Amino acid sequence: MSESIIKNHSRELTIAAAIALYLLPLLGMDMTTYLTLTIAGVAMGMMIFLVASGMSLIFGLMDVINFAHGVCFAWGAYVAFSVFNYFDKLVAADSLLANFMVFLIAVAAAVIVVGIVGIIMERVLIRKVYGSHLFQILITFGGMVVLRELIRIIWGPNDEVMPIPLKFQGNWNIFDIIILKYPIYAILLGLMVFIIIQMVLKRTKLGKIVRAGVENPDMVQAMGHNIFLMFTGVFAVGTALAAIGGLAMAIFSVQVYPDMGDAYLIFAFIVVIIGGLGSITGSLVGALIVGLSYNYVAYLLPPLAVGVNILIMVIILLIKPTGLFAAGK
Amino acid sequence: MVEQTPVQVFRSQEKMGRFTSPAFYLKIAILAAFIITPFLFPSFKSLDLVLKIMIFAVLVASFDILLGYTGILSFGHVMFFGIGAYSVALLLGKFGEPTYAFLFLGFVIAILVTTALALLISFLSLRVKAIFFAMVTLAIAEFAIILATKLSSFTGGEDGIIMSTPGIFKVSFNMGSFMGVDITGRVITYYFILVICLILFMLMARFIQSPLGRVMQAIRDNEPRAEALGYKTFVFKATSICFGCLVSTIVGGLYVMWVGYANPESVLGVPIMLDVLLMVIIGGMGTLYGALAGAAFLRLAYTFLPDLQSLAQDLLPNLHFVHTMMERWLLIFGILFILVVFFFPKGIIGTIQNYLKTRKAV
Repeated sequence: MSESIIKNHSRELTIAAAIALYLLPLLGMDMTTYLTLTIAGVAMGMMIFLVASGMSLIFGLMDVINFAHGVCFAWGAYVAFSVFNYFDKLVAADSLLANFMVFLIAVAAAVIVVGIVGIIMERVLIRKVYGSHLFQILITFGGMVVLRELIRIIWGPNDEVMPIPLKFQGNWNIFDIIILKYPIYAILLGLMVFIIIQMVLKRTKLGKIVRAGVENPDMVQAMGHNIFLMFTGVFAVGTALAAIGGLAMAIFSVQVYPDMGDAYLIFAFIVVIIGGLGSITGSLVGALIVGLSYNYVAYLLPPLAVGVNILIMVIILLIKPTGLFAAGK
Repeated sequence: MVEQTPVQVFRSQEKMGRFTSPAFYLKIAILAAFIITPFLFPSFKSLDLVLKIMIFAVLVASFDILLGYTGILSFGHVMFFGIGAYSVALLLGKFGEPTYAFLFLGFVIAILVTTALALLISFLSLRVKAIFFAMVTLAIAEFAIILATKLSSFTGGEDGIIMSTPGIFKVSFNMGSFMGVDITGRVITYYFILVICLILFMLMARFIQSPLGRVMQAIRDNEPRAEALGYKTFVFKATSICFGCLVSTIVGGLYVMWVGYANPESVLGVPIMLDVLLMVIIGGMGTLYGALAGAAFLRLAYTFLPDLQSLAQDLLPNLHFVHTMMERWLLIFGILFILVVFFFPKGIIGTIQNYLKTRKAV
C-alpha cells in the first residue's frame, strides 16, 4: 500500500521533499533574510539557466559540448556595456519606458552580435570536427581563449563598472520586506525566455524538427531537412542565450571583466549535469537548485559556496547519472 | 618449430632493431644533453629552462597517457600536479626546519590523496559518458583553485607557500667544485629531479607497451569493441587515470622542490592547463616523446618571446596594433592551438612518424 503511494505520487513527493529541503535554511536566518536570499537565488538561477539552456540545446541537437560558452556570456555582457555607454542619456533617464527601451536595445544588440560570433564559430571551427568529442572540446577550448583575448583587445583588460538604468536600481518595500527591483526583472526575463523556448520547441514546425533532430539527426536529414543549417541556427541561438545571461548578470553584479564567463561556464556544466544534457526543463530546475543553494550557503558558510554545488552534482551523479530530466523535454 | 603469429614476428623484429635504430641513438643523445647541461651552461637561467622542459615533458607525457593513449580528456590534470606541489610545500614549509622525512612524507601524502581523488572522480564520471569526465574534472579543478585561494590560513591564499629544501638539496649547500663547476644544492636537485623524471618516463614508456597499455589503446580506438572482447573498460580507464595522475602529482612535488614555492597561479591555474594542452597537441597526441618536443617548443617560445616582442617594437615602432597583439600573446597561442588541431592533429612527432612510415612503404 505505502509502496504504491510512493510510486503513484513520486513526482509530488519529490517536489514536496525539495520544497522542504529549501525551507531548511530558515533555521539559520530570519524570514526577511531568507526572502531576500531566495529572490537573489532565483534571479541568479535564471541567469545560469540562460547559459545552461543554450549549452544544453547545443548538446542535445549537435552532440557538441561548447567550452566557449562562458566567453559568449562575457561577450554579451560587454556588448551591453557598450550599448549602455552609447545611450547613456536613456540609461540615466528617469522614466521606466526609456530604461526598458535601452535594456531591450542592449538585449537585441547582444543577441545579434553574439549570434553572429556563434555562426562564425560554428561554420569555421565546429563544422569540421563533428562526431569527435575530443576535438570538439579542444577546438572550442581554443575558441574560448581567442574570444577572451579579443575582449581584452577590444574593451581593455581591466574590470569596468557597468552602468545601470535608473529605474532598475533601488528596491520596493513591501510589509518591511525589502525587495530589490532588478532581480525581479531578471526573473521575469528568464521566465519569458523559458516560455519562448518551450513554445518554439513544442508548438512550431521548426521546434518539431529540432526535437526530432535531438532524437535522430540522420532520420531528419533523410526526411529532406537541411540539418546543417539547423545546427548553425541552434548554435547561434545557444550562444545568444548565453549572451542574454551575461548581460543580465553584468547588471546584477554591476561590473564586467574578461574572465567573468569562467565561473558561469562551471555553473552551466553543473546545471546540465544535474538537469540532464539536452533538456530545457532540466536546465531550469538545475539552475534554480544551483542558484538557491549557492546563495543560502554563501550566507551561512561562505567558503563552501562553490563546494555545495559540486556536492549536489556528485550526489545527482550517484543516484541518477543521466540527470533529472531526459533529453528533448 | 611453431609458426609465429604476425604480432610475435613484429615484436622480435622490433627487439632486434632496438639498439641499432636511429631513434635509440637520438634518445641517448637527448639524455646525454640533459646530463651535461649543468656543465655546459651553469647559469641559473639556462638550468631553469632545461629543468622546466624536463618536468613539463613528464607532466605532459602523463597527460598524454590519458588523452592520447586512453582517449580521456581531463581538465583536472594540473590539479593533481598542484596537489603534489602543495603537499610537499606544506610539509617542508609549515613545520619548521625541513627534513628528509618531511620531504618523503610529502610525496607519500600526495600519492595517497591523488589516488583517492582520482578513483573518486573516475567512479563518479566514467560510469556515464566519457564527455562528462571533461566537465566534472573542470568543475573540480576550479573548486581546487578556489579552495587553495580561500583557505589562506592553511595554503597561504594567493601568496602561496614559500619553503626551502632539506640537506643536500638546499640552495646554500656546496660540495666543492667538479670540472670547474660548483656542485651546489641546485645542481644536486637538478640531478635528483632528472633521475626521478627518467624513471617516471621509462615507467610510462613501459606502461603503454604492456598488455594493459595495449588494452587502453584499444579502448581509445573502439570502446564498444574492446568491451565486446571481454575487457572491463571501466577498470582499465580508471587504472589509466590513476597512473597518469600519480605521475602528475610526483612531478608536482619535484617542481616545487626546484622553484621553492607553491601558489595557486603557478601550480594550479588555468594557464598551466592550457600550456599542458598546447604541449600535448603540438608534440603529438599518442606519442610519448611528443611530450618532450611539445614541452621544449613551448618553454623555449616562452623564454625567447619577450626578446621577439622587443625586436618587433624596434622594427615597427609605429604600429600600435602589432604591439597590442604581441602583448596579448595568449591570442596568438589560442590561434596557434586551433591551427595545430586543424592541420597537424598528430603534432610534431606524429607527423614525423607518419612521414617516415610512408617513406618506408614507398
